[in-house]
Amino acid sequence: MTQQYSAPPGPEWLQQGLARRRFLQWTLAASAVMAGVAAGGFFWLRRSPLDQRRIPDWAGELSAREFLLFDRCRRVLLPTEGRDLPDTETVPVVANVQRTLSLLAPAPRQQLSQGLGLFDNAAVFRHGRRFVDLDDETARDYFDRWGRGLVLQRTLATVIKQLVYSAYWRDERTWPALEFDGPVSDRWGLAYLGNAPMPEDDGDVQTGIPE
Amino acid sequence: MTTALWRDSGLAVTQAKDIREPRMDLQADVVVVGSGAGGAVVAYELARRGKRVLVLEAGPYVPSRDFSERFPEAMEQLYQDHGGQTNRSGDLLILQGACVGGSTVVNAGVCFRTPDFILRDWRRDFGLTGLTSDSMRPYFERVEKHLGVHENGEHEIAAHARLIQTGADKLGWSVKPFQRNIRDCALTEHCLSGCKTERKQSMLVSYLPWAVAHGARIFSDTRVTGILSDNGRATGVRAQVTGIDGEPVAEMTVTAPRVVLAAGAVQTPLLLLRSELANGSDQVGRHFACHPSLYVSARYPQPVHAWRGAMLGVYVDQFMAPEDGGFVLEDGGAGIVELSMTAEPGTGAPFMDFMGEARYLAGLVTLIHDHNVGRVHWDGDNKVIDYQLDDIDFPSMKKALKAAARLHLAAGAEQVHVPTSEPLIIRRETDIDPMVEGLENQPHHLRMVSYHPQGSCRMGADPATSVVAESGETHEVSGLYIADASLLPTSIIVNPQITVYALATRIAEAIAASA
Repeated sequence: MTQQYSAPPGPEWLQQGLARRRFLQWTLAASAVMAGVAAGGFFWLRRSPLDQRRIPDWAGELSAREFLLFDRCRRVLLPTEGRDLPDTETVPVVANVQRTLSLLAPAPRQQLSQGLGLFDNAAVFRHGRRFVDLDDETARDYFDRWGRGLVLQRTLATVIKQLVYSAYWRDERTWPALEFDGPVSDRWGLAYLGNAPMPEDDGDVQTGIPE
Repeated sequence: MTTALWRDSGLAVTQAKDIREPRMDLQADVVVVGSGAGGAVVAYELARRGKRVLVLEAGPYVPSRDFSERFPEAMEQLYQDHGGQTNRSGDLLILQGACVGGSTVVNAGVCFRTPDFILRDWRRDFGLTGLTSDSMRPYFERVEKHLGVHENGEHEIAAHARLIQTGADKLGWSVKPFQRNIRDCALTEHCLSGCKTERKQSMLVSYLPWAVAHGARIFSDTRVTGILSDNGRATGVRAQVTGIDGEPVAEMTVTAPRVVLAAGAVQTPLLLLRSELANGSDQVGRHFACHPSLYVSARYPQPVHAWRGAMLGVYVDQFMAPEDGGFVLEDGGAGIVELSMTAEPGTGAPFMDFMGEARYLAGLVTLIHDHNVGRVHWDGDNKVIDYQLDDIDFPSMKKALKAAARLHLAAGAEQVHVPTSEPLIIRRETDIDPMVEGLENQPHHLRMVSYHPQGSCRMGADPATSVVAESGETHEVSGLYIADASLLPTSIIVNPQITVYALATRIAEAIAASA
């Protein structure tokens, strides 16, 4: 067992954000969303036409809404049109995100799931629809606003971006356009040096340690 | 001859897949918990003196040749919590190796001796009178010789490092090549994913095989769950062996009169707390520090390819002393996944433009002499690392950030990306002060990483304010030692591996003398 579970973030990080001077900019409606989180769900929030979409069989470790969110994010965050980069239809971005999330301990995974739900649903109060239903420009503006927002908003915007970015750039099809070399040792035919030579005549240091 | 056990490559490790019995009872003279910088050195130094040594490592054994040179995969395979270990608020990634060889497998090979002014502080504030520059010198020399520590040659100063050198020279700042424990560096820049061709002299290819050659036994996949004691004396440990699928394979008990904790500055205090030992002073887990770092990237007019060449070439020590600022700037190479996370250029097209020009980026790592304000503890069955960048350290962070920006601009950078959660770009010298001074010390504002957790079971002469004595033995439990970065009484500004190797050598000597 290599893991010890990390405790989920405590409520203080949320309170810290809410106590800041930008509290007044945070709408009453958003507070209602927080209450929704605390109550344990978003079932009462806006449904999306995308909710009818069939989720691929391989995405079993993501909830349907998580899948839709990350699938939307890859398009919003990684616009490849006009660039010498592979389209996110061909790079398994969401599958790679799923792989990363599958390694999270249960407590932070649950917290993240709630946070993703908040990110998606909080768009309702400003835009009248969930994040997954925003057009590309509005969705990017939403990310930028959250990046300048409260602690919780900054956290979620950053975490989602980093999950999606690493899921894309880890794929070697994205490397040639950037001239990134990737693994090189075998390609260069480097020799393996083996273990370091055993020290010879290895006397003690013995400077005297107070007991 | 013990050298008959010597292998010129790989390591004899008992892994979970090798274990056939559900219950194991073992005997040893010394049981070492953890196989990183502290544990490996103690294991070798005691094994070569004829002690029966067992090393228990919670992480897996991954031979160098299996390293993929793909950073995300390395994080999943070799790092604590698959690279996801953070502080409580989640705004500080705390990277530690979690494999046989520990963090030495995934560090960048940078070697600094403990600065003299740090040792001075330890003597003055913690009564560690034996830790003088003169008394520590033979230990530093010994480990440096063993690990082939040497100053980077010209060929190990990559394009990104030369830019930093140029900038520092223009500003008149002191800049030096790093010392590293590398043998014939192949300049792959994959240090943080493990050195595939066994050039970095990590514990995986040095002290651990040497220890095994002298009869030490290493068990991987084996997490120690409790320290055993009797009447104030350590008597061994109990552990659990877990398979790759996460299922328990065996329960293990090791009976040993000496127990050495070297599981790192997060795991060691957690183990002590779980065992309810050595904590009469309530000091275990307290005074955690970690050198919170920023990676300050900048775009240059010419291609740099920050992923080519030696990962770390030079550093700026102009501001190392506390009275000069208390920070160090280190040149740092990076791959594209890492670069994608270091800056916030904006969403969508601005980010894709940033990445499209990644070959023009070079980066600087800031290390600050942070105060020991953190605490590692349990919350039920969950570990907690309570650490936030303290307001008392925020000015140092800002000074380091300003210096990094100045250096980049002096080196010819066109724009410097401030590593925050919102897009902030410095384009000229006059941008620096207003932009950096406008930053607030709030969670998730700066993009910070810690590579050097330390200080959670500090060493000192006074049992009321420290956990272990100068010998490494805990004040309260005889035969129970600590030999990792958790015993550092203060943060040390610089990369800590040589400090840990040297202290572990010294502690092993004390253990040998006491047996």
